[in-house]
Parts: sequence; structure tokens; C-alpha cells
Amino acid sequence: MFTLEVKKLSKVAAFTLFAATFAFAGADKAVDGSMEYKVVNGTYAGVYKVNEKAVDAKGFKYGKKPTENELKATRIAVRYDFEGLPEGKGSVARGDELFEQKCAMCHGDMGSGGKGYPKLTGGDIDTLKNQLVHPENGDEPPERSIGAFWPYASTLWWYIKTAMPFPHPMSLSDDDVYAITAYLLSVDEVQIDGEDLDDDYVLTKEKLMKLHMPNEKGFYPDVNGKDGVANMKKFLSNPKNYGTPTKRCMKDCTTGKVVHIKATLDSGITPLVSVKKDLPKETGEKKEDSKFAKLYEDKCNACHSNDAIAPKVGNKESWAARIKQGTETLYTHALKGFKGMPAKGGHADMSDDDVKGIVDYIISKSK
Amino acid sequence: MKKVDNDKTTARRGFLKNIAASVVAASAVVPAALKAGDDPALIKEPEWGSKLGMPADKNLYGLPSPYEHNVTRRVHKLLSSGDMYASVAMTPIHELSGIITPNGLFFHRSHGGAAIVDPNDYRLVIHGLVENPLVLTLDELKRYPSESRIHFIECPANGSTGWRSPQFNTLQFMKGMMSSAEWTGVKLSTLLKDVGIKPEAKWALAEGSDNSHMGRTLPVEKLLDDAMVVWAQNGEALRPEQGYPVRLLVPGWEGNLNVKWLKSIEFGDKPWHAKEETSKYTMLTPSGKAIRYFWPMEVNSVITSPCPDKPWKDLKKGDLVEIEGLAWSGQGTIKGVDISFDGGKNWVEANLKGLVLPKSWTRFSFMYKWDGKPILLSSRAYDDAGYVQPTIDEEVKAVGVEGIYHRNAIVTWEVKANGEVNNVHIRS
Ligand code: HEC
Ligand code: HEC
Repeated sequence: MFTLEVKKLSKVAAFTLFAATFAFAGADKAVDGSMEYKVVNGTYAGVYKVNEKAVDAKGFKYGKKPTENELKATRIAVRYDFEGLPEGKGSVARGDELFEQKCAMCHGDMGSGGKGYPKLTGGDIDTLKNQLVHPENGDEPPERSIGAFWPYASTLWWYIKTAMPFPHPMSLSDDDVYAITAYLLSVDEVQIDGEDLDDDYVLTKEKLMKLHMPNEKGFYPDVNGKDGVANMKKFLSNPKNYGTPTKRCMKDCTTGKVVHIKATLDSGITPLVSVKKDLPKETGEKKEDSKFAKLYEDKCNACHSNDAIAPKVGNKESWAARIKQGTETLYTHALKGFKGMPAKGGHADMSDDDVKGIVDYIISKSK
Repeated sequence: MKKVDNDKTTARRGFLKNIAASVVAASAVVPAALKAGDDPALIKEPEWGSKLGMPADKNLYGLPSPYEHNVTRRVHKLLSSGDMYASVAMTPIHELSGIITPNGLFFHRSHGGAAIVDPNDYRLVIHGLVENPLVLTLDELKRYPSESRIHFIECPANGSTGWRSPQFNTLQFMKGMMSSAEWTGVKLSTLLKDVGIKPEAKWALAEGSDNSHMGRTLPVEKLLDDAMVVWAQNGEALRPEQGYPVRLLVPGWEGNLNVKWLKSIEFGDKPWHAKEETSKYTMLTPSGKAIRYFWPMEVNSVITSPCPDKPWKDLKKGDLVEIEGLAWSGQGTIKGVDISFDGGKNWVEANLKGLVLPKSWTRFSFMYKWDGKPILLSSRAYDDAGYVQPTIDEEVKAVGVEGIYHRNAIVTWEVKANGEVNNVHIRS
């Protein structure tokens, strides 16, 4: 069927100027509305040779069956229907404390952004229809945030548990994740069962499972029912849904005016764009490959490369007063923690000597 | 002197004479007299011709010529989520030839840095609604029969800075969030035969083992169609930035779905709704509702020569020149590309050249005699599934400008009389 259609198609395209390329209505499409290619006579899609005996082979005996413990360790996902969510509990107040310690340096006070990292809270579901087309006319952008945009709270729990805090994911206990989840929902004034999440509100598995996020219905196609995959196929097979034409206009087509770049972003590119074929300039900078430079890169740089989060290594101004305290104090602060600086940068498994070695390296780069 | 020796002697004398000559050439650089019209690059013996080159034991893993040092990935602070660990490094597509991206230039987008996975501790777990859950080591995985396929991978945010207006005047930052390679691995349809997917399993969750523990939901139908678990790109092991030692390859679909550092595939009867299919990778439309699970990367093209990075400044009026570009579709095979010189009013057909493969970069070419007058140069691709690249107006009319992802509208270059090339939009 595929070969036949293609032949028909190329004839159509070759002989018309206003070419109707979409000759496929009703033909079999793949799940994403694309061409479905098959292996015919040992050749895939008419181009790749295939050993059908190999790709159709069965009865391999490699590998093993996972043990129950192994499966438990592997299954960290929480589905939208809360399948996979472990038991636990945490209060809004505890979440506030944890957020201040472990998250606010990147996501801002109460998750309000402003530090270059994603803004988490403070959006508005009523702005989702906004289109920022003409900023000069006062158009406003849509303001997405957890409470205003995220369809499911399961996703929030799952994501915080497995991906945050950014420099050290998988370090929060389940109870801590409940607490932070409760806190972020309370900042965005999301209710559970008609109830506000006040400071002393304790979020549990049972309560979280009752939560319907305000924007739960703000997404399409409907993928959750038993026709989910079919709905996707239907949606993607109709290119009108996403502005893709199926005809090629060849002559006297409608066009428009030329719009030039107003303010280019090119100057922020690193390294600056160049197509010169010359020898690299000697920068005189030595490559750092000592053990502690590498450890620093691995364990500390996520925070210490950005003055908005932590004193930037290499920035003398940020370090002058700190270095004055003396090396021993800096060791202690790095080992035991100090204000926004978590003990050992959150890497409890590191030896004291390694942390001290990194502190020496930091000092050498920043004085 | 015997006759037999004579030849040898002459040969030997000649040899000594040559050495003497070369010693002279090397020690006292005597410039040959240049006459009018002579190119010194041809008349003078170049430096590299009169000394030894690099020994065989230098750069045992080879490197590009130092003269190519400007051909690199590039980054921009605005394209990161705060720092360079959740960011993207763009491929210099204006410097590439053919349809393969060298591994060191392959674009790199990750959500918590590129993990360095120890291959000895690598395990792939396949579980959930299956008859025979399975754990494989890397060696065991590689014993399955392998296939090699050429496919591009494109981040759905490629070109997203252009939704409202043109902002970059460099091809690298307009379209560099994509690359292409020959991938080698096992087809999931092969791997899953013995695992036995239960009939109620319609969805699968693929998860990575990196910092972000990237999880993405895929329909089983796609996994059994053409998806693969791959361990090699362009003949060598995957690079860390591409998911070493193993990634999922989902031909034609959003880059993010090609889960890197692949740790597990779980089968289920419902989709999961991960962070990257709710908060991100969804397309907010003017209705206030967002399209989710927009899997395929739509038909697309761009002219790579000329482009803002590689203008026509050296061309003279009347010069014959090849207009060249890349076309690609995640929904099929490129069938053709049209070119316009007047900003999309009239179109002519370009030629495709080289390999024309499904869900792959495809090169197109058009021979052009430049008359030195300004032109508005556009390309428009179409594929065998029947899809045609939209104009900016057509696309914005359907989905608005706040969707971030899946921007595939026609790109237009303003080529000025002096050969300068600028990124412009054509808007009604
Ligand atoms: C070092 C900076 C940093 C710290 C500390 C940090 N995050 Fe993040 N966070 C990020 C980055 C970067 C991203 C985006 C990652 C990506 O690109 O996928 C992010 C994304 C998120 C998101 C998703 C945002 C969205 O709109 O999709 C949530 C929720 C989040 N972080 C919560 C937290 C919580 C809770 C903590 C504390 C436990 C935390 N983060 C600590 C840097 C940080
Ligand atoms: C999660 C982010 C984060 C990480 C990771 C991190 N730091 Fe810090 N660090 C901070 C912040 C914030 C401060 C500033 C604290 C203050 O003075 O308010 C800081 C301060 C410091 C100081 C100065 C303390 C003082 O007395 O002024 C040292 C030394 C230091 N860090 C060492 C390290 C080392 C070594 C590592 C890696 C092992 C590391 N940090 C990782 C956030 C971080």
C-alpha cells in the first residue's frame, strides 16, 4: 500500500504547479500521523537492508529477572493517578523552612523567581489566554506557575523527589517532599477539598490524592482514558490542528511585509560567533585538572558559579571578607554548613579532607 | 667503475643533491620572484611542506585542525534555566556538510548536566505490565542483533526565539538545537519479543539515570514501530552528552523523548504526566489550553548557504552559485523543497541530493546566477506524509506565539546587494 501511494503521489507532484501533496486522507498513518514504513523483501522503507531472521528472532536468554528489591529501587515515578506515591506527611511550616534552606537561593523567596532560575509560584490561571504579540501596546505574557498551570500535583511530588534540589537530587526524605509540596501549593493558594493550606496544615498521601489542580482541564488531547492513544493519533493526523498545510502554492501566493530584527541577542553568545579559519589565540589560562579542581566542578560549582546563589569562585570581591575570616573558619563553614551553605555542599558522603582540599582550591582561585 | 653500479651512483648523487637543495630551502628561505598575477600561496613552498608533520603517536584520539577552532558548539545564557547545567549547547550547522554531525559538535541539551555513567554498573530494567521483567547489563544488551539508522534529533524548542519576531542573526542559534547521526542499537520490537508486553499496556515510561531522572511517557505503538535502544553514534560509543552508554532513540520525535542515560522502561495502561509533559514541552495556545504529547517534529527546512553566518560577500554580479540547505521531517521522508526569491510569492523546485532517508536530514540544492540585486530567499519543504512547511502567518494563526515549542515556519534570508544576509520574518 505504501509503495503504491508514493508512486501516485510523485506523479501528482510532478505535473501540477498548485500541488496537492496531501493524497493520503484515510490511508494508514502511524500513531503520530506520520508515514508508517515497513520491511518489504528484506528492505526497510525502501532503503535499509534488514536481516529479517535477526530482527524477528526470539528466545534470547540474556539477562535476569529483577528481584523485588531491585524493582522497588527502580520504581520512583508517581503517575497522575498517584500510582507510585509512597506514604508520608509534612506540614506547610516545615516546607517553608526546608524551602528557605534548600531551594530559595535559586528559586527566590517563596519560589517567586528573580535569580535566573525557574519561577515556581505566583502565576495566574486567568492569564493563560494572554498572547504577548505587541509588547509596545502593553500586551502581557501568560503567567505560568505550579498553581496556575500544572495539571497534576503528582508531578510536583515526583519531580521534587527525583530532581531537586538541583545540586543534590534524591537527598530529600519522603516526608520532606510532602512538606515542600504542601508549602509550594499553599503559596499558590491551591485548596484541597475546599480547605486552605495554612501553616499548620499537614499534607498526607490521602489528602494529596484528593487534590485536583485548578488547571487540570487545561490540556488537550484527552490522553487518560482508554482511547488515549487513539485520541492522540486523531489529533496528530489532522495537520490543521497545528497549522501545517497540505498544499503547496507555487505562484502569486499571499505574502507580507519584511520584519527585521529590532534588538539582536547575538552579543550574548559564547564564544562569540566567528567563521575565521585561524589559529586559536593563546589565552595564557592554565587548564585546571587537579583532583580538587575536578571535585569542585562536580560538587560545588552548581551553586558557586553564580553570585546570585553563592559567592562566585574567581570573584575576588565576593570572597575578600570571607577569606579574611581565616582558612580554619572557612573549613568549618564548608564542613558544618553556614547560612545558605549546606554542610559539605550537601554531599555528606565526601571526606573532610576532600572538602578542605576544595576550600584551599576555592581560596587560591578567589584571592 | 662497473656499468651496473653506474645507475645506482647517479641515483645516489641525485639523492644527495636533493637533500642539499632542501637544506638550502629550509635554512635560507629564498622567496621565488613573484610576477604579476602570481599567487604567493602557490609559488612559495609552504611551511608544512618543508618540515615533518605530526607523528603517528600524537593525538591517538584525533582532533580537528587547530584552524577549525571556531567550529564549536556555542551557548547563550538566555537559553539556559539558570546555569550551564540546565542548558543547551548549539550545533554550528552553518559549518556542517552532508547529513551527519560529528560527535563533538552534536547539540547538547540536558536538565542537570551530562552524567558520566560507569558502563560496568550500567543496567537496563524492563518492567511493569510485561510477562517477563528483565534486567540487562551493557554486554548482554549488545548481544542482541543490531541495526543502524540515520536519524536527526531535534529539540522541540529549536527556533523558539522566533515566535514573536526575529531575534538572532546567526543560523547556529536559529536552528542549532538539532543534529544528525548514524545510530546503532537494537530495535525495541526485537528486544521486547521475549519480554512479552501485556495487551492492556498501551503506554511506557522511559527513565534516565542522570541528575534530572528524566522520565517521559511514550505510546507502545511507537516503541514497536521504529524505536531503538542505542549504544553507538557514528561508529563509536555514544558521547556522555548523548546519553552514554545507552539512550532511547525515537525517530522523528521530540529530542527530549529520546531519553539519555536510559535506566528503565516501565509498561502501563495510562500515561504518567512527567514534569516534561506538563509544566514543559506543552504548547499553550490562544485558547488558554495547552497541547500536550505533541510527539513528532514537523516538516522543516533552512538554507544553510548563504546564511547570516556565511554570507555572499565575496560574490560578484553574474557569479554562478549553489544555494544549499537542510530539510527534515519527523513525520516522513523529504519529498521535495521549493525555493522562493521574493519572500514567498513565487516558488520553484530545488533538487534533493545525496541520501534521502526517512526521518533524516536531507540536503537540497539550487543553482543560481546572482545578479547582485537584493533578494528575499526562502525554502519550503514537504514530505511523503503530505505535510508542507507553513508560513509564519499560517502557523501563528493556528497556535499563537506562546507555545514555545514546535516552531517550523518558513525561514527567509534577506540577501542585500553587498551580499550581507539577514534573518527576517515575512508577516501580513
Ligand atoms: C542550584 C539551583 C537550584 C536549587 C538549589 C533548586 N533548584 Fe529547582 N530548579 C533548578 C533548575 C536549573 C531547574 C530547571 C531544570 C530543567 O531545566 O529541567 C529547576 C526546576 C525546578 C522545578 C520545575 C519548574 C518548572 O516550572 O518546570 C521545581 C518545581 C523545582 N525546581 C523545585 C525545587 C525545590 C523544591 C528545591 C529545593 C528542594 C529546588 N528546586 C532547588 C535549580 C535549582
Ligand atoms: C546548594 C548550594 C551550594 C553548594 C552545592 C555549595 N555551596 Fe558553598 N555556599 C553556598 C552559599 C549560599 C554560601 C554563602 C553563605 C552565606 O554566607 O550566606 C556558600 C558559602 C561557602 C563558603 C564560604 C563560607 C563563609 O564563611 O563565608 C565556602 C568556603 C563554601 N561555600 C564552600 C563550598 C564547598 C567546598 C562546596 C562543595 C563541596 C560548596 N560550598 C557547595 C551554597 C552552596
